Formats: sequence, C-alpha cells, structure tokens
Amino acid sequence: MISPSSHPVNRTAGLLTRFRTMASVGLRMMFHSKLKLMGTLLGVVFAVVLSNQQLGTFLGLIYKNMMFIRNSNTDVWIIPKSTEVVGPGKLSISAHYQALTTPGVEDAQPVLIGGANVLLPTGGSQQVTLVGTQFPKYVGGPWNIVAGSREALSLPDTLIFEDSERELLGGLNLGSVREVNGRRMTVGGFTWGLIPFGPSYAFADYEVARELLKTPRDEVALVLVKLKPGANAAAVKMELATRVPDAKVFDRRDFEASILKFIFTKTAIGITFGTSTLFGLIVGFVIVSLSMFSSVVDNIREFGTLKAVGVTNWDLTMLLFVQSVAYGLLGSLVGLALVSQMAKGIRSAKLALNLPPWLTLATVLTMILMCVFASSLALMRLRKVEPAMVFR
Amino acid sequence: MSSLAIDVRDVKKTYGSGATAVPALRGVDFRVSTGEFVMLSGPSGSGKTTLLSILGCVLTASSGHVSLLGEDISRAKEKDLPRLRRSYIGFVFQTHNLIASLTAQENIGLLLTMRGFSHRSAATEATRLLHEVGLSDKVETKPGDLSGGQRQRVAIARAIAGSPPIILADEPTAALDAENGAKVTELLRTLAKEQGHTVVVVTHDNRIFHIADRIVHIEDGLIQENQS
Repeated sequence: MISPSSHPVNRTAGLLTRFRTMASVGLRMMFHSKLKLMGTLLGVVFAVVLSNQQLGTFLGLIYKNMMFIRNSNTDVWIIPKSTEVVGPGKLSISAHYQALTTPGVEDAQPVLIGGANVLLPTGGSQQVTLVGTQFPKYVGGPWNIVAGSREALSLPDTLIFEDSERELLGGLNLGSVREVNGRRMTVGGFTWGLIPFGPSYAFADYEVARELLKTPRDEVALVLVKLKPGANAAAVKMELATRVPDAKVFDRRDFEASILKFIFTKTAIGITFGTSTLFGLIVGFVIVSLSMFSSVVDNIREFGTLKAVGVTNWDLTMLLFVQSVAYGLLGSLVGLALVSQMAKGIRSAKLALNLPPWLTLATVLTMILMCVFASSLALMRLRKVEPAMVFR
Repeated sequence: MSSLAIDVRDVKKTYGSGATAVPALRGVDFRVSTGEFVMLSGPSGSGKTTLLSILGCVLTASSGHVSLLGEDISRAKEKDLPRLRRSYIGFVFQTHNLIASLTAQENIGLLLTMRGFSHRSAATEATRLLHEVGLSDKVETKPGDLSGGQRQRVAIARAIAGSPPIILADEPTAALDAENGAKVTELLRTLAKEQGHTVVVVTHDNRIFHIADRIVHIEDGLIQENQS
C-alpha cells in the first residue's frame, strides 16, 4: 500500500529554495549533455583565448612604451612639447637648472636619448636606442641587469646592452668591443627585456652618450625630477610648468595617460587589437548563444514537463542564468589556463603577453556577462514553451 | 456523499479563430468526486486530452466554468496557473517525461522542493516514495537505465509527491506491456481507493476499464456516455 506524504501540498517553496533547486537542475542538465557542454565551452574558450591573446599583446606593447617611466624611480618628467612617448627629443638644458632650483625638488637629472649604430664584426650595423644618464646616481639608467653592473657605466667608453640582442649585435659578451657611432666601446653589462617599440635600449654615461649622439651641451632629451619627501607634487608640477613653458611637465600617471592617449588616437594599434578582441567576443557570443538555444530545443520536452508540474518562467530564467554563469566560469578557467600556457610558450624579451590580475578578473566577469546575454535567445524560446505540449 | 473534486460545467474550447477555428470541446459537463477513479475514453481527436489539459491547468477553457476542490480556476490568470498546478495536480504522462539528467530520487525530489519541502526532507520523502512503488534499489538510477515500467512507476511516485489531491494520467499504460500496464493501473487505483486521491485517467486501453469506478466516453468534444 502506498501511504500519502506526511506533508500534503499546501504551500510553495520560497525564492531561495526554488533558486537552489533550479540551479541544481540546470547544472545537472548542463553536464548531462557532454557534447553540448563541450560546444558551449568551446565558444567561451575561443573568446577568452583570442581576447586575452590580443589584449595581452596590446598590454605588452603598452608596457614596452611605459617601462622606462615605471623603472626610472622618478616623480616628475620634463619632456619636450613635441614628444609623445619616451624617446629622442630636444629640450634646453635650462629646464634642468630650473628644476634644480624649484622649491620642493630634491634632485633633477638630465637624460639623453637617441639612436646609435652598432657596427657588426661581419659588416653591417644594428640600431640601438642609446640612453645617457648621469654618474653617480644613473637615474633613468639600466635596470633588470643580468650580467655586469650599473657601475660599469663609470668606466671609460663602456655601454650596457640588451642581453636578448647579443647575437643580433654580433655575439656580444662582457668585455666585447664594438664600434658605436664611429667610436670603440666596451660591453660592461647586459639587461634583459629592455626592448621598447623601437630598437633595444643601450645605456651609457651621460657624457659618453652626449659625445656618441653629438648632442650640444645645452640640449637634453628629458629631465627626471625627484621631489622632496612631503612636497606637494601638484604645486611643484605647476611651478615647473611655469618655469619651463616650452616643455610638458608630467607625473607618472599623466605621462602614462598621455602615452595611452597617443597610442589610441594617433596610431592604429588600439583599433587593430580592439577589433580582434571584439571579434573574439562576438564569435564566442554567437557560439554560446546557438549552443544554449540548441540545448533548450533538444530538451524542450523536459522544460515543458517542468512547466506542467508548476515551474514558472522565473524559475527557468534562474536555471538558464546559473547555466550561463557556470559556462562563463568554466570556459574562463579553461581559456585562461590555455592563455597562461601560451604566454609562457611565447614569452621572450621582444614579445611578452602582459596578463595582469585585473585582466583575469575582467575576463571572468566579461565571459559571465557574455554567456548571460547569449542565453537570451534560449530564454525567449523557453518562455514560449507551452506546458500543454507534454500531452501531445 | 463525497464532495466534488472536479466540477466542469459547459466548458468549451476552440483552437484558432475565424475560418480556421477548430472546436475541441463543445460544452462539456463533467464532475468527479473526491477519491473517485475515473477513466476518460474516446477516439483520437475527441477532446479528452484537451479536457485533461484544462483540468491540469495547462490550458484555459474558452468558456464555461471549471473548479478544483471548490476553487474556481476558470478565471485564473496565466501567472496563477503554475501555483494551481503545484497545489492541486499530480501528472502521469504517456511517456514518463522524467528529467534524463536527474536520478529517480532527484526527479521526485525536484517536485517536492517546489512544493515546499526542504532539500533534505525532499530526498527522504522521494526515497520513501520509490520504496512504495517498489523501486528501493533504483534511488540513484537515472531514467535512461530504467525499464519502461520502472520509469512509469517513478513518474507515478513523482505525481503523488507531496500528496496533490488530484492525479491526472494521460495514457499511462500506452507504452507498457500488459504486465507493467496492470501494475501501473493498480497503483493508480490504490491512490484513489486507499489514499483518497482523485484520479482521472485518459486511456484507450480497454484491458484496464474494469478497475475504474466510472468510465466517461467523450466524442466530438461532448460527453457521450457515463458508465459506472
């Protein structure tokens, strides 16, 4: 004999219970159809890999443009008005003197930057971006030194080169001698990964660089300013701008924003990478959208049954929402793991995918959002399911 | 005298409109007392499934009056229908219509949680119901691994989960062999006779007519015959 339930039907589950129930059913349905699961995840993974590969490369390129700023241990930069990124420029030496006498300034160091030719033993030559910084602090000088030392710059006619360019520069070693802009120079050290947009950085003592670049004594490329502890940075910047009207005065944030603006508005880099990223997201969206829709169509009878037994459209919306979030999370996880392996595989001094934590977080959130929006088509179909279909 | 569980008066249902309108029910009067076991028979297209759909609150009548246990559902709004289904109706479908990705226990538990059980008590109650229908060893089995008869028994356990007062079954034996068909029908009769559920079964299967309290014949959208 069948005995009745001890809890006859007289009430409905609360919203939280219904959500939990629908979440559980949604996830079970999702994992039941392995092929559909793979298809939908493929869409998310595709979007994650393509967008992260493109954005990572883009951020890597941005970093190349900003690495000098981030590693020069400086508070304020004075650069020529026409200069958009860190590079060669002409600024009167008076900017240096003005900075030194500005209240709130602890120190100011001039820096020279210019292109130099390295003559190769086999003939021909290679370009480097020569940076000249002042003894003894060498502010703006080499970082990421993997062989030799920064102090080597104080030795006569000594340069520090980029380690990853050693072969390109004719098999350089510590102590190797190369003719740079017509003058014999000795290798005093190597840095790693210091390759901006253009040729790799090579570092020299300020005076050596001035002679190699044939820069007049009254010219500098930029001036790096260190503020006194507790100094009002905004006030010092304003004062410097007044004193050196033919230059731009930036703190780190200003300078980076200016470079970003330049890259986005004056080059095609932003559009190129932005388009590819958008393409990845659109393709991912379409795949996820179609997969989820087809999954609903495949299980239409089950959804009809759920409706027939009293499940509401709100409940089914929650079911799809949970599935979307799960697809977004899982796909992000797989995609980010792939991207991370890819980044390791292609990492070099010349090209490095820059994948900061915020990009990882943004990827996960974007993928969840993408999946939630992509489920709209499935949801529209689901809402139209007639419970009466179960009797047909 | 038993109280009325189902009271249908002059119900009409027309599909479509204008020149393409198809009348499915043309003024049906149908009453079922609490605890009664009624079979609804008739040829294909006679309107019996339409009537069952209206009783199950998955379809609304074009006109007429329908009440379940005294609650008038004729004028219920679309948004109220799921609540009415949860409150009053247990369904047994021609094909079991179980959720393939859920185990037997979870298929029943799903209904129970929607009917206000906690997840834990739903699991316990679902296991008990499976035991009652002779499937104690199939608690963790998914529908794909059950025989046709076993699936239909799980579907019956799901239909009575939470003790809805009215059980509606649409051709519950159509996909079963004679032995399993008899078991399922007996199970439905037990629900009516021993637990007081009101059971309405739509069927063509004249092998099972003899166990009904009453057989209602419907043809061309009208009740033709009421046999006790």
